Amino acid sequence: MELIGLYPLFYFPQIGSAWLMGITGSIHIMASHTSVGAALLFAFLAHKAYKEDRPELYDYMKKYGMFLVIFSYVIGSITGPGIWYTATAASPRGISALIHNFVWVWATEWVFFIVEVIGVFTLIYTIGKIDRKTHLKLTYMFALASVSTLFLIIGIISFMMWPGTEAWYQTGSASDAFFGINTFPHMFLRIGFMILMSAIIGFIISSALKEKDLRSELTRKLAVIGMIGGLTVLMSFLWYVQTLPQNAWDLFHDVLWARDGMTRIVIATVITLYLILAFVLPRSINTVLAVVMMLVIGVIGVWPGEKMRESMRKPFVAGRYIYSNQLIARDVPGKHVKSEMALVAEKGLLKLDPFIPDHLRSITPENQLEAGHLIAKIACSNCHSLEKGAKFRPLPDKFPGLDAATIETILTEVIATGVRSYIPPIKLPDDETKALAAWLATQNK
Amino acid sequence: MDIGLVLNTLRDPAGVPFYPIVFQALYILTWALHIAFVLLALGGIPLALIGNAKKSIDDNWKKLGAHMTQVAKISVSILIVLGVAPLLFTQVIYDANWYVTNTISGLWVVAFIYILILAYSLWYWFYYANKNNSPIAGLVGVVSLLAFVGAGVLMHAFANESIQPEQWMNWYAPNGVIDTSGTNLHIDILRLAFMVSLSAPVTGIFLLNYVDYTSKCDGYTATYLSFVKNLGKKIATVGLLVSAVLFAVWVLTLNMLMNPLVIAIVVAVLVLLFMVIKESNSYITTLVLVVTALLISTLREVIRMNIMSKYGYSIYDYPMNIDWPTVIMFLTTFVGVGFTAVGFMLTMAWRAGRTKGIYTADATVTKLANATVGITIIWALIFLLWGIITVFKNTL
Repeated sequence: MELIGLYPLFYFPQIGSAWLMGITGSIHIMASHTSVGAALLFAFLAHKAYKEDRPELYDYMKKYGMFLVIFSYVIGSITGPGIWYTATAASPRGISALIHNFVWVWATEWVFFIVEVIGVFTLIYTIGKIDRKTHLKLTYMFALASVSTLFLIIGIISFMMWPGTEAWYQTGSASDAFFGINTFPHMFLRIGFMILMSAIIGFIISSALKEKDLRSELTRKLAVIGMIGGLTVLMSFLWYVQTLPQNAWDLFHDVLWARDGMTRIVIATVITLYLILAFVLPRSINTVLAVVMMLVIGVIGVWPGEKMRESMRKPFVAGRYIYSNQLIARDVPGKHVKSEMALVAEKGLLKLDPFIPDHLRSITPENQLEAGHLIAKIACSNCHSLEKGAKFRPLPDKFPGLDAATIETILTEVIATGVRSYIPPIKLPDDETKALAAWLATQNK
Repeated sequence: MDIGLVLNTLRDPAGVPFYPIVFQALYILTWALHIAFVLLALGGIPLALIGNAKKSIDDNWKKLGAHMTQVAKISVSILIVLGVAPLLFTQVIYDANWYVTNTISGLWVVAFIYILILAYSLWYWFYYANKNNSPIAGLVGVVSLLAFVGAGVLMHAFANESIQPEQWMNWYAPNGVIDTSGTNLHIDILRLAFMVSLSAPVTGIFLLNYVDYTSKCDGYTATYLSFVKNLGKKIATVGLLVSAVLFAVWVLTLNMLMNPLVIAIVVAVLVLLFMVIKESNSYITTLVLVVTALLISTLREVIRMNIMSKYGYSIYDYPMNIDWPTVIMFLTTFVGVGFTAVGFMLTMAWRAGRTKGIYTADATVTKLANATVGITIIWALIFLLWGIITVFKNTL
């Protein structure tokens, strides 16, 4: 019996399982980026406090640090593995591909995590209890460890978009996969955002300080830091989009930017005005405004940004060799990986998937709709909701009112031929295509 | 369903990037470290809650409760970060098991994250509420404990489901009807009870460490130290006895009572019992506890290997594509950065905790601090250089 390594399906109605990962991921990005940005800010403040003998800055660091522990090291440290968990439930082969390529990179990042977690507690609780010079070294170490976690994760996330060159497909070497052409622009993009976030969160703490002069001074400094971060984001973003693979660029330029571009420009303008306000009138930044702005950036800034990045990756989920629906799209000689597409076209998903009940292995008139529904779940549900009118990319709505024969033609002539560059061009045996079309025709009315 | 064929088909086609036995050893080691902090948090939280409840009538409990609140708080952070490693290594060699579990229990897998966030956030709330003598502190703490226990039960269920491949199809498609809701949850109550019971000896022995450390610090009276010592001894003794009974019953159901590893664990537990009762040096007792944890972690792995070998699955014949550059990166970082940085922070914290007033770093701590910063800078430079060379090599 011939099988391919497909896993059981987890499907969350109306939303789709993959979007659950997006939600967890967006929360994690807010928290983790803040933590790295704040680590850099700590090093800067500790340096200043030590060189200029400014003990009041230590109080600020302590307050910021406690907030950071709760925000970043509770939420951030849990949602980090949380992305793994949700990604595993939604795209097991996608996460497996990353793990089996980058396990040692992740293990290295783990070493820095340990240093970070012990570091943040040590850093906060030893303020005023150890000599300042040693404390300064501790903040340097903490900042370096935090930035190193970024260095280590960035190549993995960049690989999800693409390895950048053909080298990895031939060598299979993790370093060829890790250091692609968009790794460095992506790294600077994230560093800029981290610096920006450290200022945005820093405002929450500085605005709550009772000492007015210190409050104004810190708010102004944070505004400058935020501007540096924001400018880095803008410049790196322009660099980053130039390093995308062609179909991602087309999708970004023709579809996503056309749809969301104005929102991005508005959010960038709002942030710029906010930072200018903080610099010119530092006392106008109160805690309520600071919290609201943080949420605005989180909801309007991060979530659509991540959605955009995720959409640009389509139809792949990792390394441009695994499709979103978990099928292996191409050969990777360096890893002895073989494409599964020809086998799927010949035998069909229902014969090759190990987790199919026996009565659905062969399609009959009696089980055709049930089989069609299952094929839709296997082949489409990673990107599409299967309910008509559902929140995210509802599949039935893509074929409004069409009959089974027309849908079948679209599946074979448009989808399977790769006309839509963001949809996996999967050829299925005739009986599976007919079953899928028949089921869709019952859902789109 | 040919389970062996399925298990071997589900292996990642990219293979593993190093010898499987190394991942296995790292899994055993890091799981033992992770579970130690899970158990400490699980044992520390009830003590903190009792301390909160009794703080108005008993100064000893008040002080201990406040300290255990902090211990639990830091333990949870550490258990999370230590938990990443076994999660990583199990996915490399037992990917089939872990991923099937994560899909058939997908909804619980997602819920786990948010339950843990809720539990930990509530614990911080309890910490501040307790500090401010809020009347709802106790309630918040109890809900936090329940949420932590819930998260623990879920994690146990995932591990339990992963070693029952013969049940996967029944759970995923009962009576031939596929269920993609991800709501499967199957626990082994005996195994769970044994694992949870270990929180008592771990916490009891921790209290003995706490007494030994704080006895050399200012602000701890003999009465208080004696109270904590007696409490720790009692919790450890009763906990070891209960754990031993549960362990015996559990391994009996597995027909492994005479397994050499099981016997070694029983001996280790007896040694621990003896050391606790005789009030031996608590740091040495902790070392024996660590060895016991490693033996238990190894037993879990032996159980899993036995089950998998029944179906013709062996991690040792997983196809390999060794990736030396990243292997070397991990090893040098683990030893160079990890040991130096953690050594620096723990040595400094240990010495600062015992110093009255401000601690000024001595020569050893200063050397460690300088080495840590220097090594991390060198690490970053090498990493960036490696990246730039690779990009140039592959694009020009």
